[in-house]
Amino acid sequence: MNPYLLIVLLTSLGLGTALTLSSTHWLLAWLGLEVGTLAILPLMAQPHHPRATEAATKYFIVQATAAATLLFAAINNAWLQGHWDIQHMSHPLFTSMITLALLLKLGLAPMHTWMPEVIQGVSLNTGLIVSTWQKIAPFILLLQIKQIHPPLLTIIGLASILIGGWGGLNQTQLRKILAYSSIAHLGWMVLILQHSTALATFALLIYIFMTSATFITLKKCKATTINMLTTTWTKAPTITLVAPLMLLSLGGLPPLSGFAPKWFILQELTQQNFIPHASIAALAALLSLYYYLRLSYSITLSLSPNNLPECLQWRVNYPISTPLSSALPAALALTLFLLPLTPSALTLII
Amino acid sequence: MSYLVCVLLFGLMVGSVGVASNPSPYFAAMGLVMVSGVGCGVLICFGGSFLPLVFFLIYLGGMMVVFAFSAALSAEPYPYGWGNRSVKMYVAAYVLGVGCAWKVLLGKWSGFWGGILDESGELLVLRGDMMGVAAMHDVGGWMLVLGGLGLLLTLFVVLELVRGVSRGGLRTV
Repeated sequence: MNPYLLIVLLTSLGLGTALTLSSTHWLLAWLGLEVGTLAILPLMAQPHHPRATEAATKYFIVQATAAATLLFAAINNAWLQGHWDIQHMSHPLFTSMITLALLLKLGLAPMHTWMPEVIQGVSLNTGLIVSTWQKIAPFILLLQIKQIHPPLLTIIGLASILIGGWGGLNQTQLRKILAYSSIAHLGWMVLILQHSTALATFALLIYIFMTSATFITLKKCKATTINMLTTTWTKAPTITLVAPLMLLSLGGLPPLSGFAPKWFILQELTQQNFIPHASIAALAALLSLYYYLRLSYSITLSLSPNNLPECLQWRVNYPISTPLSSALPAALALTLFLLPLTPSALTLII
Repeated sequence: MSYLVCVLLFGLMVGSVGVASNPSPYFAAMGLVMVSGVGCGVLICFGGSFLPLVFFLIYLGGMMVVFAFSAALSAEPYPYGWGNRSVKMYVAAYVLGVGCAWKVLLGKWSGFWGGILDESGELLVLRGDMMGVAAMHDVGGWMLVLGGLGLLLTLFVVLELVRGVSRGGLRTV
């Protein structure tokens, strides 16, 4: 791709999200979402391959549908209520419609089917952008809407946690597993959204750190299937050591950062007397934990069934410093060690 | 007047069903032409004149011509018309759906007629839609600039995606 065009596209990718975040007007928010969607399409179709083109097409169709629904609801809301304010939506029909459109953009449970397909078709770098940066704008819009119909988000959140767990169980492709992991994490955020927006933001933040670390690690290992992970120890021994901890952090196990959002979400749900919801969410997280454990097993605890000399690399891979690989240590540190700093992190957000 | 609006709305439904029933893009373009033309007629009946004019010129004169051209360029050898079995099924389903909706909603939206574009109900020199356009350029000028930037970005994106013979997403051209 032409470097000038790449700069234009990456700038617009940032600009789109910034526009949405800084808007109080539905039209500007919609514009920002559209700019963000359009800017990433050539990046998705970047490895010139039918699969990438197909993924870009699917992404475009889904995001355009969601954006059109959002615009339709916003215009109808403006017609009936006479204003375009994001924070003062009060018509129940159009609030629900916009919520569903944003959930489609994020890829939550009944509307999640595009997510694994799209992530599977694009490269790991683009997959990183799609599953982190592209989630920010719709999620912040979702935070600002006053929810009128509480069961909607609860049902969708629980369904996403369950489906994110179940869907990933039978996958051997890493990008699909990561897509299902993303669905499950977003389910947690949506579940807590109407009880505490601060906790939802905190969960999104931690999710972005963890997912970035995972995608960069996989990029570093050049692995796209579970089988390819078994030779990681010859390529990057340090990553072999740390990767299980990173995956268990994604699964939400105690002394790691991934435990913090789940801990606080469960506590908040229990305090609000939503004990069945908390129990279902906690139990459904075990489904996700199963495939994280399987990945850790493939990376660290098992050897590839080849002859030992055959597994060794033929030449030494000198670490090439790309921007992404130099971000790996920071992302890993945030993924592993943030739990003791949680009080100050929460203070920042609240 | 009421009769004219009914005929136009009927045409709107027929056109929409014609597009939504998944015929080949070559034929669906005709449904789109019908929907947009008849839709302009409906807007005129409700008192707007400027908005339908702009819509007609830009949508039909600009976009539909390009769309029809592209559809003709990549025409399939055996296009699906409305006579094909799968398309016919969709047509039947949509007609049934429209019929049911009409049965359910009949009489509920009766206060809906008229006055959409001129909500003031007085006789003014400036029509509502023209005033709206003026207000949009006056108050919402920066929003239009941002929209223009978005369209410029779309141009670059489309050019990159359909780049050329071997590098683009399109195969046949």
